Amino acid sequence: MGVAINPAHLVAVRDFSPETVGAIAEHLDVSTDFEHLVYREAELDAVWSLTGFALRQRADAALARLHETSHRAHDLVGEGRPREAAALLRSLL
Amino acid sequence: MLSRDEDDRLTHTGPGTPAGEYFRRYWLPAVLASEVATPDSPPVRLRLLGEDLIAFRDTEGRVGLIDEFCPHRRASLFWGRNEECGLRCVYHGWKFDVSGACVDMPNEPPEYGFDNKVSTTAYPTREYGGIVWAYLGPPEHVPELPKLEWARVPQSHRHISKRRQETNYLQAIEGGIDSSHSNFLHASVEAFRVTDAYREKVGNSSNLRARYHLLDKSPRFTVKKTDYGLVIAVRRNAEEDTYYWRLTQFLLPSHTIIPYQKGLSIHGHCWVPRDDETCWVWTMSWNPEAPLSAEEREAIREETFVHVAVDPVTFRPIRNKENDYLIDRARQRSESMTGIHGFAAQDQAIQESMGAVVDRTRERLGTSDTAIIAMRRLLLNEIGAIEESRRPFAAHHGDVYWVRSASMVLKRDVPFEEGARELTAAAV
Repeated sequence: MGVAINPAHLVAVRDFSPETVGAIAEHLDVSTDFEHLVYREAELDAVWSLTGFALRQRADAALARLHETSHRAHDLVGEGRPREAAALLRSLL
Repeated sequence: MLSRDEDDRLTHTGPGTPAGEYFRRYWLPAVLASEVATPDSPPVRLRLLGEDLIAFRDTEGRVGLIDEFCPHRRASLFWGRNEECGLRCVYHGWKFDVSGACVDMPNEPPEYGFDNKVSTTAYPTREYGGIVWAYLGPPEHVPELPKLEWARVPQSHRHISKRRQETNYLQAIEGGIDSSHSNFLHASVEAFRVTDAYREKVGNSSNLRARYHLLDKSPRFTVKKTDYGLVIAVRRNAEEDTYYWRLTQFLLPSHTIIPYQKGLSIHGHCWVPRDDETCWVWTMSWNPEAPLSAEEREAIREETFVHVAVDPVTFRPIRNKENDYLIDRARQRSESMTGIHGFAAQDQAIQESMGAVVDRTRERLGTSDTAIIAMRRLLLNEIGAIEESRRPFAAHHGDVYWVRSASMVLKRDVPFEEGARELTAAAV
């Protein structure tokens, strides 16, 4: 049995690896409250920031897709659509 | 990050803008009561939410807040005579009372009765906690005054100041709720470097901020939505089995309270849009249990913390961007991270350096910006609710403002809500 995901906990965004992105998607799946959505926005902001900095160092199509997708997912969370944001992130995994 | 549309929705507060309509549903601090201290005292000009206004206290002690410009030829009523229950324009003699009614129009033939048909824009005011508050919204939605602790303590227990900041209000609030900046912007050099001498100095300090705040530079943020806005809980490592918690409130539409340690005075702010590129920073210090001590008043005079010396007419700080906030580069090398004296001037310097309205589409946030993200999202939601004709809950429930910030050390397994219960209920 898997570990229960707690949407009230922030995912530690140390990188933009598939594990990190996958963890954010899992948390998005169970996010319902204002606070949860704020944490998801913060995580996606961090992914967007990290990928943005990385893109300054090197052009990379996959990285650019993740950068763009994290932005779109972030906006979906802002609109109160976390499940769609999760699906969008998973489309990259 | 915010989209351009979201950024604009939050930062534009003039008449007819989404955030402007939102702010217009609350009582807002307008002028210090002492600025219009006595009946028939000189009128005071101010800008609020992009509107140029004049405040004056009439012969009977009522405070009026009216359009700065006479409706006749648009001359400024700042030059007006405050006399016999009205403010008279010195250009052609038209006179207005606190309700905005024209009560005298000597340059028109009296038989025309023109004065009975003329009025100017006037807003309701209330005096509360040493401040004249104004309501610029629709008459059918007049809200309740917020039951803020500082406004209800005796005058001897509080000190209130205001200053003008050359930034949009949102930037200023963001600084007010961003706990992690104080580890850098407001630190001494030895605290930032966490030298052995510093550790020894603060090791047994009863001041929790001195003891723990600067030792953990990567605080963890928790936010919680409440009836008044947000409580922002910031956790730092303290001892092996404890955390140092700092709780600050963001109270709608734009009040904040700095984390308070029992036994010390409390400080808070209200950040009021002056126009889109400047704001009024209201700063309150209060002691709920006793008059402010000589030591506390001395700290206020010395501008070490949240208050600054200002020009008495413009309320622009003496330390400002034209004189580089009187930065002392020698002190910056040896003593303080900024070389700028006082927390408030440090905040103002750094926030003004971002430009009058920072471009939030270009920022790169991390998870330490959680409180800022929460505050923006909450305001966007609230603004959206007004557009859907819903009443802002807090504006009509003044009792929800009866809260206090907190800072405390708790065992690691104790939730902050539990530990803070006793500290956060206001006590007067």
